[in-house]
Amino acid sequence: MNLFENVKLALASLRSNKMRAILTMLGIIIGISSVIMIATMGNILEKSITDTINSEGGSNLVAFQISMKQDRTRDYIMNTDYITEEMIQNVGERFADDIDAIAINSGSERATLRHNREELELMFYGVNPGFIRQSSTEVIAGRYINDKDVAKKGNICVISDKQAEKLYGGIKNAIGQRITVKMLGGSHDFTVVGIYEYKMTAMMSAMVNMMGEDWNNEVYIPYSTINKIYQVNDSTFYYYYAIVNDGVDPTRFCEEVKNYMNHRWYRSNDSVEIRYMTMESQMEMMSQVMGIVSMVISIIAGISLLVGGIGVMNIMLVSVTERTREIGVRKALGAPNGAIRSQFIIESVIICLIGGFIGIVFGILLGNIAGIIVGTTAPPSVGAIILAVSFAMAIGIFFGYYPANRAAKLDPIEALRYE
Amino acid sequence: MIMSKAVRPIISMKGIVKSFYVGTPNELEILHGLDISVPEGQFVSIVGASGSGKSTLMNIVGALDRQTSGQYVLDGIDITTIDDAELSGIRNKKIGFVFQTFNLIARTSALKNVELPMLYAGIPAKERTSRAKELLELVEMSERLKHMPNELSGGQKQRIAIARAMANDPAIILADEPTGALDSKTGRLVMDIFHKLHREQGKTIVLITHNPELAEETDRIITLSDGRIVSDRIVNGEVNGGLAEKS
Repeated sequence: MNLFENVKLALASLRSNKMRAILTMLGIIIGISSVIMIATMGNILEKSITDTINSEGGSNLVAFQISMKQDRTRDYIMNTDYITEEMIQNVGERFADDIDAIAINSGSERATLRHNREELELMFYGVNPGFIRQSSTEVIAGRYINDKDVAKKGNICVISDKQAEKLYGGIKNAIGQRITVKMLGGSHDFTVVGIYEYKMTAMMSAMVNMMGEDWNNEVYIPYSTINKIYQVNDSTFYYYYAIVNDGVDPTRFCEEVKNYMNHRWYRSNDSVEIRYMTMESQMEMMSQVMGIVSMVISIIAGISLLVGGIGVMNIMLVSVTERTREIGVRKALGAPNGAIRSQFIIESVIICLIGGFIGIVFGILLGNIAGIIVGTTAPPSVGAIILAVSFAMAIGIFFGYYPANRAAKLDPIEALRYE
Repeated sequence: MIMSKAVRPIISMKGIVKSFYVGTPNELEILHGLDISVPEGQFVSIVGASGSGKSTLMNIVGALDRQTSGQYVLDGIDITTIDDAELSGIRNKKIGFVFQTFNLIARTSALKNVELPMLYAGIPAKERTSRAKELLELVEMSERLKHMPNELSGGQKQRIAIARAMANDPAIILADEPTGALDSKTGRLVMDIFHKLHREQGKTIVLITHNPELAEETDRIITLSDGRIVSDRIVNGEVNGGLAEKS
């Protein structure tokens, strides 16, 4: 009895009981499709994270921030704890060989702009010239904030191409324009000196898609200017970024800077110290989270496959009972036990494989629907498909074996007499 | 007795006893030591009332069951000594079953039904199909190769079952009440096919029946009662293989 004949036989048997076959497959379909969906979504998430990281200065980007010490004596941050402009300057000079740029952001402030009887919400960021380097943003017209702007505390701003489009109908007209915004209860004028190209990261576009709005509201002004509005003299920072030169090991650099800063400025601080973050460590964290999520879903998928497998076993037992007489006839015609066993195992494997294939199709579909919502699609993972197919086969064999063996061991005389 | 034509026995049974254990220590003996010898080419009928042990004997002859004691040699093979796997091989190659209820495999075409024993015998597909077609021609069913059992009448089904029984050119055809589920007209047709196979192909046929008229058509009638042979007589044709009338 060869495989091909058995497969044809199994298909004929399934065709004669379509509804039953489909219901039996359901468990397998759900299980396999969730496995494939997780794998596809995992790919999408990974791609999206990589995109985000690449768009934000890549793996050369590191951040230093103040954090509470483990053996702290207080639970709050005081003004004297913050990172000062001098510290950052000092670090920049001391590690000049390693550092490509330093990006600082002294704060962000909500502002409203009246335009054609419409109130537009904007977010003003006080930044330094290096800030542009921590994102993939590019200036496409005019210029970015420079050191002179910072020194002069000038009321200049850099707006996005989208904002320029909306306010002035184009990039060309925007340069040199003056915008008046309400901020912190007062009215402030800014001259547009540059336009940056607004690029959405995959993560951003996901959020935008969910919120249904694509209004990029970021406006950049010198950090000294925002301090002026805040009416503070000294710039202090909770964190700052550094972009290291290519070939510099970010972790090594961070360790050195952290030790230097802690030793120099925070040695006598009772509660606060400097810590750092690299893209690498962030990626690790993300993948850890992803790992947990996919593990949980995998467990659910596993349970559903188990239940599906038990369903297959149940239906195979029914099938064996229903076909007791047929089994008896086959045995009388000289079918060896092995042939009967493989006939039923193959039938069970076929149920699982068809269920598996439907599951794979559904899984890819669902995964990509999720991907479209997030804004990135990814090809289905080949490894996951191979795994799913072999798993479906294994379920078929495992749960089909017992009923098949029962069929094989039937006494031909009893089976022939079965009504 | 004509000894010049040395006909070897196809079925040779000596002291066949079959008992069933119906809870220890009770033992129910169904067959009480049967001696049967059937020469090649004989059309023999086994008759008896229900409960006479007919079915039990048929199961042993058909290698579906084993005797409790005694010796059974089928076509030179001692059934007593072989294992279950070999027994299915014996059923496959040496025995062609024809059942009262036809027992065709459902949802499987006439052609595929006839091919089935050859499939289990490992005969290549091409050869299977051509032989199955020949056999269906023999039983005059060539027109219905692709028909499913549920599209066929009883008589047609039984003819296909006979073709299936012939598939591996078995040593014996074992027919259990083959006309029992048919009306007299189609029953006649089926019996004619058995006669044709017997006459033209020299097949050894064992017919189990409770119908004395049908039994009378065969060469020899073995009558069973309460697990014993009560009569064994030649009714038609030449007496082969040194069988004496025993009544």
